Amino acid sequence: MNVIEVKDLRKEYGNVIAVDGISFEVRSKEIFSLLGPNGAGKTTTVEIIEGIRNATEGTVKIFGKSMDAHIKEKIGVLPQEFQSFERLTVRETLIYFSRLYKKCGNIDEIISIVGLKEKENELYKNLSGGQRQRVGVAVSLVGNPELVFLDEPTTGLDPAARRGLWNVIKKLKEDGKTVFLTTHYMEEAEYLSDRVAIMHNGKIISIGSPKELIEKYGEKTRIIISIKDKLIEIETEEDEIPELIEKIRRDGTKYDRIEIKRANLEDVFLKLTGARLK
Amino acid sequence: MNLKAIYGDIQASIKNWYRNKAALFWTFAFPILLILIFGEIFSGGNEPYIIYIQDMDNSMASHLFVENMSHINIIKVKLIDSSKNIEEYAKEHAAIQIPKGFQDSIIYGKKCNLTLYLDPSKQEINSAIKSFLISVIGEMNLKISNATEVIGYEEKYVTGNNFNYIDFFIPGIIGMTVMTSAIYGSIEINVKYKKRGLLKKLLTTPMKRSEWIFSKMIYQLIINFLSTIVIILVGMVAFNMKASFNFMVIVIIASASFAFTGMGMIISRFVNEEETADSAASAVNFPMMFLAGTFFPIEMMPHFLQVFAKILPLYYVNEGLRNAMIYHNFHASILNTTIITIFAFIVFLIGSLITDWKEP
Ligand SMILES: Nc1ncnc2c1ncn2[C@@H]1O[C@H](COP(=O)(O)OP(=O)(O)O)[C@@H](O)[C@H]1O
Ligand SMILES: [Mg+2]
Repeated sequence: MNVIEVKDLRKEYGNVIAVDGISFEVRSKEIFSLLGPNGAGKTTTVEIIEGIRNATEGTVKIFGKSMDAHIKEKIGVLPQEFQSFERLTVRETLIYFSRLYKKCGNIDEIISIVGLKEKENELYKNLSGGQRQRVGVAVSLVGNPELVFLDEPTTGLDPAARRGLWNVIKKLKEDGKTVFLTTHYMEEAEYLSDRVAIMHNGKIISIGSPKELIEKYGEKTRIIISIKDKLIEIETEEDEIPELIEKIRRDGTKYDRIEIKRANLEDVFLKLTGARLK
Repeated sequence: MNLKAIYGDIQASIKNWYRNKAALFWTFAFPILLILIFGEIFSGGNEPYIIYIQDMDNSMASHLFVENMSHINIIKVKLIDSSKNIEEYAKEHAAIQIPKGFQDSIIYGKKCNLTLYLDPSKQEINSAIKSFLISVIGEMNLKISNATEVIGYEEKYVTGNNFNYIDFFIPGIIGMTVMTSAIYGSIEINVKYKKRGLLKKLLTTPMKRSEWIFSKMIYQLIINFLSTIVIILVGMVAFNMKASFNFMVIVIIASASFAFTGMGMIISRFVNEEETADSAASAVNFPMMFLAGTFFPIEMMPHFLQVFAKILPLYYVNEGLRNAMIYHNFHASILNTTIITIFAFIVFLIGSLITDWKEP
């Protein structure tokens, strides 16, 4: 079943065409990512779906309907660059937002999911960037939503903080929630998503699971063996790799190192657009 | 209406407010400081007592009396023309009327009374003035007739504008504080919340816009009534102000809160950066504060500024509060209240209509 259905969506800001006729759907209980560089039109797209902006053209169905008060009970949103109330503690912030919903999640549980147990009585303004983003994610969970929107949740975080948030997002899927993620980090989309829509200049240029996209557009996986100052490259299929390496061992070839080069979504993007993601 | 959400929003706003030292300063400490400083400067403890004298006799005897009064060091005599209505003057300061035929009475040894006009609420001043008058009269009687009482006096009481500067000043400070907190509070929400993505976030929650505006207004009213009460208490304790807190005062403060919140919304609509929004707010706030009769009566300003002052909403708030709290001038306060209420309704409506709740 589809949780979101977007059809022929267009958005113009004056002369700027931010979203240029896109269609896609998000399936129940998957992590779906919009991946694209800054200015691709990702935020505009999610904000139209969330009901914050009006579309110029096209339709958006969410749980099969147009946005209304009932649907707002079932979604949780982390807007891009969200900053909460400076002088409320983490716990107070979550209580504040939970009161806006009819049914709400267990605050203690949410605090521990996002790993802020030690900081729950700290004022928001005293938190680090990573902790603030976790509060943002936590805030999007207090209504116990079926569908969670996270717009660039890890932008500006250091690698450790980013990893931490990735685990939180994985956990949401395990809890049976649908996650709509927006990111310009290729590794993030690849690591987290069941399906990715690659967006560029307001258009979706390809959509599918990371694996499908890489298989379709990426270079084949290669094994690169360096012997002295010679490089030998062998193109191979993923499932043949163990066998190949075993064979090199058995032959007794003296090599300096073996490297496996797999294509990633960055390569897919490059192939499709001729541009880099970042 | 989701009361749980409204209650939560009010509670959060209040917490966010009392943990903000700058906000506390501007709502409490700043007005209190102003009251203490200005109140002290203008309450003027050692000024001479002013006495108006109206001489209806214009004779040697009456001139002698005026001269004797003037000789008392701490009395400052001001003469009133005999054509004026002495009771008007007596509303401000004590006044003595020397009756026509004063000198003749003395000559014929017939008893003659001066009339002393007093304001019953100024007890200390009254007793001082009476004792000066008695000693002057006594001396004159002694010289004239060996202590038979030829010259006497009778007291008349006039209740009038027996108000000091502090009575004028404190309603102005209340008006100023309500205005400042409403304009800046409104800008905080409409500009800063917007920048932080909080407005976007709230749009995606089930809370309705009307519930949200409602809770913000309740919050603003709580803050404004709180600071009003504190200001009145300071005035009463430090300067013995006699103010009454009545229904009209409540209506004026509530209307003023709406009016200035609406003005804040309108300002926010045109300036999106926090700093420019703050400067724009100050550009509205400060001139209005000085020109609308907060610190001194607008009658002290040049005529064209007086005309200008009368188009400022704060002027009607200040005047309304004075009439309702201090002067007990019910009719005038109703007029002021009506003006400010209508203004509040229009401005708040415009503010709500032009505010971009959705993103473009
Ligand atoms: N409020 C706005 N007014 C005008 N142009 C906008 C506005 N918001 C976004 N844009 C433009 O629309 C395009 C897409 O922006 P956005 O949806 O924010 O992209 P992304 O989230 O992928 O970085 C950009 O060119 C951006 O400059
Ligand atoms: Mg974006």
